[in-house]
Amino acid sequence: MTIVSGIHISLDKRQVLRREGIRQQSSVKPEIMALIDELLASTYDKHLLEPAIAYDVYAISEVGHDSVQLDNSTEIRSASLSSLISGGRELTVAVCTIGPKLEKQVTDYLGGREPLRGLLLDGIGSAAVDSLVQETCRLMQNEASLRGYQSSSPISPGIPGFPITEQWPLFQLVPSEEIGVRLAPSGIMVPRKSASMVIALGEQVTVRKQGEACARCNLSKTCHYRLVAK
Amino acid sequence: MSGELTKAIADLEENEALRLAREKLDSGEDPKSILEESRNGMEIIGNRFSDGTYFLPELIYSAEILKEITEIIKPALKEDAQAKTSGKCIIGTVAGDIHDIGKDIVVFMLDVNGFEVFDLGVDVPPQKFVDKIKETDAPIVGLSGFLTLAFDSMKETVEAIKAAGLRDKVKIMIGGGQIDEDIRKYAGADAYGQDAMKAVSLAKGWI
Repeated sequence: MTIVSGIHISLDKRQVLRREGIRQQSSVKPEIMALIDELLASTYDKHLLEPAIAYDVYAISEVGHDSVQLDNSTEIRSASLSSLISGGRELTVAVCTIGPKLEKQVTDYLGGREPLRGLLLDGIGSAAVDSLVQETCRLMQNEASLRGYQSSSPISPGIPGFPITEQWPLFQLVPSEEIGVRLAPSGIMVPRKSASMVIALGEQVTVRKQGEACARCNLSKTCHYRLVAK
Repeated sequence: MSGELTKAIADLEENEALRLAREKLDSGEDPKSILEESRNGMEIIGNRFSDGTYFLPELIYSAEILKEITEIIKPALKEDAQAKTSGKCIIGTVAGDIHDIGKDIVVFMLDVNGFEVFDLGVDVPPQKFVDKIKETDAPIVGLSGFLTLAFDSMKETVEAIKAAGLRDKVKIMIGGGQIDEDIRKYAGADAYGQDAMKAVSLAKGWI
């Protein structure tokens, strides 16, 4: 197992605006842009981001129609995963988080009747998790390269064909508690600004373009944060 | 000066809106009419939000301006006019789900629009909604949930309200990331809202 911390996340306003559902920066009131600048600065000044990644790599022993068996006997039930890793030799299971501090600050703003600050800081947190997921994917690409493999696109419990209940076996496979992430009884991660994912490594694995990934998402019809337009 | 306050709010000119509100109050204008003019500005904001000119941050910003104006004129309002007048709402994120920001924004928007809001928090069991309806006689219930697992909790909450004999006394709206008409039917709710403004318009329509 591997723990990676001390990761620097660099965010710009465009990433934050996308997380507020805004695509055209020019249309936003200057007061709101100034507040985003202020909150971005305070996010770094107050060290509200504590990014960390925990992951482990497992050999795949069998890929069924809707389940994947690892050679430590763990079974992950997911039709989406099965289709993603045909040709995969190994499976990386990763959990990443920005920690609890930013969420606490958001809660304080909302409770203190400052919902705009709460909303914008929440967007900064979401953008930070997006960046951390990208960083996790880069790490997995390195793991794949070391083995002479490619890495697949990531998928996460909660998407169609990958029930959120599969969080439980995944969390048995990765030392998430060492980066402060646990599962609530419903399978939601705490802190919420966290992400879990699996990525296949192999000679021929499935790499989906972002548009296809967006189209497969539960939120494809209503998502305000799409990376690729419909 | 009539209409200037409405325009200042609609254009999110915070300092100008606050200056105008104070000026009107100092010149003896009826505080209720100042509030009315301010809420007219919110109507325009709502339309701009609906047509995509404004986004959620602008909507929340305008609500904060309205909140500030309300605080300015509150001391001048007669006691009966200070009371929340639009109606009572009970809001909570259903059992199993702990997402709160969407729910908190709906609570804030209902509050600034004059509703008395009882916020039950997150991961709220069905019985807690039932108990609060009995306690407050609120005619509107909002169930929030972001994840697919929330759909069953919404359905169970509606069924609990029905089992308690309260279904005919309340209107129930649901909201969250993936809610649509199919989920509304599944949960047995009266309506669903895709954003905070829809929640406000639904609530206003039910009072």
